[in-house]
Amino acid sequence: MKSKIKVWTRRRVLRGMLAGSAITVGLPILDCVLNDNGTAFADTGALIPTRFVSWFWGLGIGEQEWWPKTAGADYELPWELGAIKPFKKRLNLFSGSQVFLDGNTNRTHFTGIQGHMTGKVTSSDDYFNSMDAIIADTISARTRFRSLVATCDGDSKSTWTAFASGKVPAEVSPAALYARIFGPGFTDPNAATFVPDPAVMVKRSVLSTINEDRADLLKNLPAGDRARLDYYFTALRSLEQRLDIELQKPPPLPACSKPEQPKDDGHSIFLATDAMVRHDLFCALMTHALACDQTRVANLNVSQSQSALRQAGDPTTHHSYTHEEPIDAKLGYQVQCSWFQQRYFQGLYNYAAMLDAVKEGDRSLLDRSILYAYTDHGAPRLHSVRNYPFITIGDGNGRIRTGMHFPTPGDTAIRVPFTIMQAMGVPISSWGTNSNHVTSPVSGVLA
Amino acid sequence: MRAECRRGLATVIAGILPILAAAASPSALAAPAGAAPAGAAAASARGTANSEEMSTALLMSPSQYRLTIADVFGDSIKVNGRFEPDQREQGLLAIGARTDNISDNSLESYADLASDIAAQVVDARHREELIGCQPRSENGRDDDCARVFFARVGPLLYRQPLTVDQVQAQVTAAGIAADKLHDFYGGISDTLAEMLISPRFLFRYKIMEPDPQHPGRERMNAYAKATELSYFLWNTTPDEKLLQAAASGEIQTRAGLERQVDRLISSERIQDGIRAFFADMLGFADFAAVSKDPSFFPLFVPSIKDEAQEQTLRTIVDHIVNRHGDYRDLFTTPHTFLTDDLATLYDVPLVDMSDNGQPQPWLAYTYPPGDSHAGILSEASFTTLWSPSGRTSPTVRGKALRENILCEKVPPPPGNVSFKFVEDTGNPQYRTTRARLMAHRTEPLCAGCHKLTDPIGLALEDFDAAGEYRTTENGVPIDASGELNGKQFVGAIGLGEAVHDDPAATNCVAQKAFAFETGYIPPRDDPRWREIQQRFAGSHYQVLELLRAIALSDLSYAAPAEGGALAAANH
Amino acid sequence: MKLNQILPHGNVRRHIFKTTVAAAIVFAPLMLAPSPASAETRGYVISWFATATNNPDFVQNCPKAAGDLHRLKFGAAANGQLQNGNTGDRDHALVNGKPVPPLDYPDAVVKDPNQETVVGKYAYGFDLGGPAANKFIDPETHEKVDDQLWRAIGCANNFQQTPPSMPYTEGLGWNALIDSAPGWAMQITGTDLSKDGPVTVTLDRTMRHLDRDALGAVRSNDSYVLDPDPRSHNVLSGEIRDGVLTIKPAYIYIESTMPFYSQIDLKDAHMRIRSAAGGKLLGYWGGYTDWHKWAYMYSSRPANSDPVGYYRALEKLADADPDPVTGRNRLISTTWRMEAVPAFLAAADGKILAVASSAGLGGRVHALDVAENRASSEPSTGTKSAQ
Repeated sequence: MKSKIKVWTRRRVLRGMLAGSAITVGLPILDCVLNDNGTAFADTGALIPTRFVSWFWGLGIGEQEWWPKTAGADYELPWELGAIKPFKKRLNLFSGSQVFLDGNTNRTHFTGIQGHMTGKVTSSDDYFNSMDAIIADTISARTRFRSLVATCDGDSKSTWTAFASGKVPAEVSPAALYARIFGPGFTDPNAATFVPDPAVMVKRSVLSTINEDRADLLKNLPAGDRARLDYYFTALRSLEQRLDIELQKPPPLPACSKPEQPKDDGHSIFLATDAMVRHDLFCALMTHALACDQTRVANLNVSQSQSALRQAGDPTTHHSYTHEEPIDAKLGYQVQCSWFQQRYFQGLYNYAAMLDAVKEGDRSLLDRSILYAYTDHGAPRLHSVRNYPFITIGDGNGRIRTGMHFPTPGDTAIRVPFTIMQAMGVPISSWGTNSNHVTSPVSGVLA
Repeated sequence: MRAECRRGLATVIAGILPILAAAASPSALAAPAGAAPAGAAAASARGTANSEEMSTALLMSPSQYRLTIADVFGDSIKVNGRFEPDQREQGLLAIGARTDNISDNSLESYADLASDIAAQVVDARHREELIGCQPRSENGRDDDCARVFFARVGPLLYRQPLTVDQVQAQVTAAGIAADKLHDFYGGISDTLAEMLISPRFLFRYKIMEPDPQHPGRERMNAYAKATELSYFLWNTTPDEKLLQAAASGEIQTRAGLERQVDRLISSERIQDGIRAFFADMLGFADFAAVSKDPSFFPLFVPSIKDEAQEQTLRTIVDHIVNRHGDYRDLFTTPHTFLTDDLATLYDVPLVDMSDNGQPQPWLAYTYPPGDSHAGILSEASFTTLWSPSGRTSPTVRGKALRENILCEKVPPPPGNVSFKFVEDTGNPQYRTTRARLMAHRTEPLCAGCHKLTDPIGLALEDFDAAGEYRTTENGVPIDASGELNGKQFVGAIGLGEAVHDDPAATNCVAQKAFAFETGYIPPRDDPRWREIQQRFAGSHYQVLELLRAIALSDLSYAAPAEGGALAAANH
Repeated sequence: MKLNQILPHGNVRRHIFKTTVAAAIVFAPLMLAPSPASAETRGYVISWFATATNNPDFVQNCPKAAGDLHRLKFGAAANGQLQNGNTGDRDHALVNGKPVPPLDYPDAVVKDPNQETVVGKYAYGFDLGGPAANKFIDPETHEKVDDQLWRAIGCANNFQQTPPSMPYTEGLGWNALIDSAPGWAMQITGTDLSKDGPVTVTLDRTMRHLDRDALGAVRSNDSYVLDPDPRSHNVLSGEIRDGVLTIKPAYIYIESTMPFYSQIDLKDAHMRIRSAAGGKLLGYWGGYTDWHKWAYMYSSRPANSDPVGYYRALEKLADADPDPVTGRNRLISTTWRMEAVPAFLAAADGKILAVASSAGLGGRVHALDVAENRASSEPSTGTKSAQ
């Protein structure tokens, strides 16, 4: 239950700015400490940040033996992943791991993700502190948006991002996401002049009235309410920080440009082909948001885990097909299910290609990132929590090795996200509970 | 929807303001009525049992937000923008409102809504009426005029008196902003926007205080009580009379509470409360993600999504308020309201005599005897909401009925199930949904739960995923026989009768109504809860009597931890 | 008004019609007064209506146009001038020696553009008894057909459409019409419409415009009140045989609204209608209509072909009703293709006159698709449309 969160760890010092005089113009975005081995901007000497890009697709790869039979660099990429083959040397494939249930029910389409995204398996709806949110708190806390999350299927509940305060609903509309990032609050880092907007300055100063009221408000509230309002004040701090950033001149970012404004308003979608058109719009927005350092963590979901996407003229959803479609005796896999997966992985290729098309210094935005692809089930037909596929593309500013297949049969799947969190500089030495507890990364991944 | 136009408390509040301003105490979230010292309230609030872990504050729902803004500022102020979706807990958003937290994203959404609302309040069209005074100059601060505004609006937004210091803080902020912007109204607007994202506005708190009538016991603070009552019965902020009843302490007396409850229930605005409650109970928030493939369902025009909800809410309000009907009859009633769109979907004739070019009217309609429709389960609000976009799922419909209507928990599907018995829809052996599900249920692991859901949903197979009546599926006649808790029946009519006769239905609506007010499931063994149930039964299950019994019960205003009912109460 | 207050046996749902005829017969006394005592009436609204085209035969119909890359459907003489930006004499009309707007005075246009006319063998329609030299063959019935209007305009670019696409100008008008102007309703009454037998066909206008479904087509199963205005009320005798409805030749007049036809005015009207899936009707209406009115419909709105050429071709090919003074024919044989969808129809007092039914006329359901219908008939020319 959400209200059971007991410990408040990230409270920040609040600053009173009522008079507005404390507003200054500076270059603070890159002055935060980054556990970063990356190269620097050629012109400013500032470090180029590392980004984390998560990508969720529903219903795994297939029932067939899709995993390569050899480990290491000399492996054959499964045909199912043919769409991303051009990136083979720059990606890793993880196979064979599982989420241990430790006696809890496998609530299909949820429990497995709960396990490998939050490190905990429970019998409830608990879903807090997903690995992308932990990474965001580490690498993106001082950007305009701690993270962004969007889904291509029109359902804002299709999200696996959760901070301590709970799940973050996904943005469903490319037009709305564009407005959020590149609307009036956006400052072009490459503009010749910068004049802080007095209206923003005033908004920022007025907000401090709430903070000044905080003690008075809290003192009469029960402890449970006080703890809950801590989340409110964290959010308020983020809002203030966003305004602060809008009041500061950002450092120039040669790779930053405003994307084309999409028209798609996020209406309901049910065809996989339509969802993938929207997918590419979101990818473009996320890519531009990362290049413009509006955030360093971007999360995109193709659909909810029980993908309700369909083919034109066919009433059966992808999810229903995983249950109902026989495995083709000759081909050895579910033909209809494969149709969907091919489209999703084409989307993953498109995303990687977009990131790769943005050059930051001597490397591409993809090279500065880890694009982390994950799913809800290892074997979708059985809805099992075994043999999970994970894919990473990009080496995260040189933080991980690439071009490898890492089979970890029988191991906990939690080790994969744990490895990625360590690569992203999250200061943790262990993660997960019970059988899913890990203290070391997948061997050979970290550079 | 009520046709009346909301003028806005802020425009007519002159009568109430002096009372609240006079009652303002130095530092209280909710200044207790009369002379009770604020310090005592604070001390007791901290001492509330079990409150160390559980928050009891309720986050305002989108519909409450909209109605509140309309009531404070008038309905010409539009709430433009979107709300982050709420979380449904134990079958109600109202329970989720007790555990929902405000995240970065949701505060960003609230801030956008607030800025837009505040800008409208001070725009040229509204400022004269809503600000209440003329600034000496529009180009800078005018603390006196700002004070007039915030002293009037502050108590309405925070639902309690404000202290002099609290008003002054807003006046100061507005003044600094006005000077910087060289715009009096800009200063007011930015400061009002700040108040609209204050946790004092967004959350409702259950503030307890010592009960002078029963030394050693606590009672809910009068303003908190007025607020809870108002959001329960009207889904909006307390009106002037209710705030006055809180200020005078009237609401803390049995007779005074009865007067207020009867006033609220006999008002036309009770419809807002009933609509909000049933929309929550029936899960209508999920309509946001409903879509149907027009290539299969050409009669499911886009407006059906709204009309389907409206049909059911109209039916419910008519049944409860106008007909004083038995709650159970909602599942069998032939009386409803239709638009042309819905009549077409349901394949019934509806004679609309309005002129060409007029918008579709809502027309009262009674299904003839023998018709396949009757009761709210046969309506598109149920049959389409609980269906995927391309075809029906009796399991989903059955689960929705068990959980939303009967308050029964259906366990999640087990993992690692073999679906080898289930073949594709093109298989001539399994041309109907029933045949496919029956094959699935030969798997023993699945049979246990599917037995709970499928026999209910299969009775609704007469209605396709878009709510249209059908008699065949893939050319095979549909068998709409079903079963609920041992009772066999056919079709939506039979299902409605079975639900009507199931005692879980009345128990469930009572539980959910209580939770809609308080944010938690009532403690089953508390005699006060049993009394509420008895009153409901004694009224032949009239929902207005249920609401009245809940609104008058001490249990509703008790510290929620008393019954230990904050945890899930699986019934 | 609640219909079930009017219907004592209120179950008028269409599945009843699928499963039990008896239930439907119960309503008979409530329906049309002229109907026999024991009858059922099904209601429809016209959901598609336009000149019947036959473009699969385009190459055979219009060899000159088919050979012309620019697809300009004018007489060979004018064609070259057009391409050079010179419209020649076609746009020059003279009255009393003074220039006038050619569309207002098409009779006065100096030079006939000699629009190419259809020379192919096949067209949809009916044998109206016209001269043998004019005859087409119907691709479905293989009967002789009089359709001089199609002959006159069938080579124009505007008419190179095959259902479900309508000829361009008619499509524009129709789509504006159904969203704003009253629709046309059809009732079919018979003792047992699931069998062959005599029927009465009644045509009326509805009081309000038609509604569309989620795909933009005219919606099935909607309810409409009929316009009591007698001008558009037509009662026709007919029969169903082998699932195909035909009528005894009659005069049909229905008011309509520009920019579609201002009225349908059809003398010696014939009908051939059958059921498709979902209770939809598909068929043809043929007869003689006033070619001046037709030309007015066409020339009153933008078109990418030559209204003067049309006018001249219609004038030349008109085949009935000679003017006693000039001797020129005032009417021209034509065929319209129509579709209709099931609808509930009520009188102005709210009484239900006809119910929506998904069942087929005469118990038969035919393919809606044109190609499928043609496939069962004699192969025409085997060529695809030149489009």
